[in-house]
Amino acid sequence: MLAFVLKKFAQLFVTTLGVVTLVFFTLRLIPGDAASAMAGDSLSGEALERLREQMGLTQPLMTQYATYLKSLLVLDFGQTITTGLSVYDLMKSALPITLLIALSTIVITVVAAIPLGTLAAFMAHKGRKGLDNLITGTAMVLDLMPSFWTGLVFLLFFSLTLRWFPASGDVDMSDPFSVLHRLALPVLVLAVTQIATMARITRTAVLEVLGEDYIRTARSLGWSELRVLFRHALKNAALPIVTVIGLSFGSLLNGTVIVEFIFNIPGIGSLLVNGINSRDYQMVQNLIIFYALIFVTINFATDIIYRKLDPRVTF
Amino acid sequence: MTYAKSITDTILDVRDLHTHFFTDTGIVKAVNGVSFELRRGERMAIVGESGSGKSAMAMSLIRLLAHPGRVVEGEVWLEGQNLGSMTEKDLNGIRGSAVGTIFQDPMSSLDPVMRVSDQMIPPIARHLRLKPKEAREMAVGWLDKVGIPDAARRIDAYPFEMSGGMRQRVMIAMALSCNPRLIIADEPTTALDVTIQAQIVELLRRLTSETGTAMLFITHDLGLVSRFARTVAVMYAGRIVEIGPTASVFRKPRHPYTQSLLRTIPRISGESRERLLQIPGFPPDMKRPVVGCAFKDRCPAAHARCLEETPEAQRRGPDHAAACFLPNGLDDAPVAVAAVAHRTADEERPWRSLPRQDVLEINNLTRHFVGQSLLPWVKPPTVRAVNGVSLRVRRGETLGIVGESGCGKSTIARMLLGLDEPTSGEIFIQGTGQMVFQDPSSSFNPKMKVADIIEEPLVVQKRGTREERAGKVRSLILQVGLDPSYLDRFPNQLSGGQRQRVAVARALALNPSVVVADEPTSALDVSVRAQIVNLLCDLKEELGVSFVFISHDLSTVRYVSDWIAVMYLGEVVEYGPAEQVFQTPAHPYTRALLDAVPVLDPEAEAEREIRVISGELPSPMNIPPGCAFASRCPKVTPLCRDEKPALVQRRPQRQEACHHAG
Repeated sequence: MLAFVLKKFAQLFVTTLGVVTLVFFTLRLIPGDAASAMAGDSLSGEALERLREQMGLTQPLMTQYATYLKSLLVLDFGQTITTGLSVYDLMKSALPITLLIALSTIVITVVAAIPLGTLAAFMAHKGRKGLDNLITGTAMVLDLMPSFWTGLVFLLFFSLTLRWFPASGDVDMSDPFSVLHRLALPVLVLAVTQIATMARITRTAVLEVLGEDYIRTARSLGWSELRVLFRHALKNAALPIVTVIGLSFGSLLNGTVIVEFIFNIPGIGSLLVNGINSRDYQMVQNLIIFYALIFVTINFATDIIYRKLDPRVTF
Repeated sequence: MTYAKSITDTILDVRDLHTHFFTDTGIVKAVNGVSFELRRGERMAIVGESGSGKSAMAMSLIRLLAHPGRVVEGEVWLEGQNLGSMTEKDLNGIRGSAVGTIFQDPMSSLDPVMRVSDQMIPPIARHLRLKPKEAREMAVGWLDKVGIPDAARRIDAYPFEMSGGMRQRVMIAMALSCNPRLIIADEPTTALDVTIQAQIVELLRRLTSETGTAMLFITHDLGLVSRFARTVAVMYAGRIVEIGPTASVFRKPRHPYTQSLLRTIPRISGESRERLLQIPGFPPDMKRPVVGCAFKDRCPAAHARCLEETPEAQRRGPDHAAACFLPNGLDDAPVAVAAVAHRTADEERPWRSLPRQDVLEINNLTRHFVGQSLLPWVKPPTVRAVNGVSLRVRRGETLGIVGESGCGKSTIARMLLGLDEPTSGEIFIQGTGQMVFQDPSSSFNPKMKVADIIEEPLVVQKRGTREERAGKVRSLILQVGLDPSYLDRFPNQLSGGQRQRVAVARALALNPSVVVADEPTSALDVSVRAQIVNLLCDLKEELGVSFVFISHDLSTVRYVSDWIAVMYLGEVVEYGPAEQVFQTPAHPYTRALLDAVPVLDPEAEAEREIRVISGELPSPMNIPPGCAFASRCPKVTPLCRDEKPALVQRRPQRQEACHHAG
């Protein structure tokens, strides 16, 4: 197990280095450079040259690369080009909000979707189609709604019509009530789609496992249907479910960008949108690396959990 | 023996059991009124072909049927309790405790993500009300009893870390661990190799007689019945058509179905080369109501009464009953049942005038599969599947290759057809080689009609015009004994036997000189198996095609083959004329294989001294330096471990690789 974790960690390290390198050189391939982007049309050739020197852009490429790696290691992300604020500080204040949204969505999804999907599978296996069709049908419909659309509908209904939740405003992370009040709706919007997807995946996975021989063996040993369902079926179905949770984190990050924009929440997603709109290279570059890191870490965690769940996994 | 019916003696009493499957396309009446009794400590076999309802019946006893199956009628009394009227909760106290169950496929019957200990200990703790520690000790004790080496450590292994035979031992230990009064074993050895099968059967026999556990043994293998069971019930179309003491049923079967079944099997002991009896037709469609006797359409002795009335079980002797109007079944038939026709071997065939030369020659063939090494300086794991095999096949002769799984026989087949490249060695084929695969359903494209399937090789090789090809396809399908109307059907509209006939027709399309048949009959039921075996023998006679017949079914191999090559771990250990090899096996492995196969005579089985070889096949990744068989051989000496015996000829036509042969 330890060897497995170490091997996976080595892979994680190599992948991260790859991403960081790729981002660095891709940005250098773009016509023009950070200095001219920063200056826009305002500076003359000489002033631009001075700015370049200031930013270290006149040094050889490899030296720039080394400096860049070193600054990443010490978490020095530099300043935004447009406002001159520390990127690190901006991310530090935005990150908890986005993470809170993403994690609560995942938790709510898992808590709701796995029992629902398992129940649907159990009913389908027993040939009681009514409840199964209801769950599967609803999930299908919800799954097809894009989150920018559900986001707007929820905003219209819960905030503007019912006035239960505010449509915009600050998020004070020190006040739990304000956090709940402000973030409940975006989380709900994201969770609806996620629950629908995951309930369907869970149903398929559990239903397939319920037809396996070892399920019959467990029944033949005198275990109740419930125990067989949760101890044997769900445990074996967990592999595809964990895979989907890992993958759905990706679509979830997409989703946070959208809901943060719709609900005007100052999270990482908003930073990204603003950074792109104002052509803030420094900001966007760091955010890309950050998103990539999250993906790689999630994959790492999925692999470890995979191995924990299924001892046959050796890759 | 008196027909004892005292309550104390009867452990299981099944009365008029009916089980139906309520599928979307109709109600499948799988079990239609099965009644029988099982006495304490008795071993009863339920035999029947696939679809006869034997498994559905067994699963109905403890209501382990999956949706849409349901017991619709009948009673199941176990020690005075009616299981049929019990709640699920009460029944869960019986399952795994009073009734243990063993399933067919050990590879899929254990939970893959749980340790053996986690699957085995909790049921013991629950049913016997033991503390986890005591339950663990007990579990280890049982694993030890079923022959798992180092049980105290192995109990924490995962199923995937064990071989199929070991897993089946674990299943047996689980089934026996709560002191059941009844064991239901559903084809417990079907998925295993013959030597492992013999070990498992021996183990079950010993443990059930030690513990006095009664056993219901579901199988399609009549040989196993004769070795193992004291009573036998033959099922057909969801009913028991004959039941009685094994000795009496095998000596004088009374029901036409039992009688036919026993004649469709080539005898491993028999030297006669008579044509195998075939049962014509198919079992009835269980979705339709059966009027009269279910076997009437396939029964040569059927008469007017059989068409209208369903025969009830009638007494034929002590404890022996058969559901037929004729007391002696086929023997009472007004018309003499077509006598078994002798093969027309003497008839003149054009190919016989051709010289009897070798059409296939294999010289020193090897195939090593090199794996991937994690680290560049570590030697990659190598599976040595085939290790220097030399064989030849003459025109119009059949070479049978036998051996357990992993002995390299299928790898040779693949190389013969160029589907795999040999690592070294040569293959010479005069003419072309074609293949017949094991599973006829998965080797066809389901979207192609039978005509297209048979024509395909001709199209690929660009032979003839469209009309010529159509004519050839017609003559091929007639040659394999199917009506040309089948040409317009799709593979899923054919039965297993018909599909295998189509596979043979396709293999013959290019007039091959050699047909390689890899386990062509092992996916088929016994009655259908006889049809295919007869077909292959006929084709050999008519066309002079040579066959390489690869199988683990020794009696079939003996029946079809002229020459036999016995393989072990990628090597030929014995080679010779089929009859001689079977009658006087020289290599200890050949002898062990033959010992492992039960004969169809319960009395001979009882007297036979069965030397079951212990242990399992060593890994082909790690072949021992001396004789490959040394680890399991009863005659092993230090010489065997050091020096590899060569395949040498000591007697005319016979070769064996053993230091102690001859």
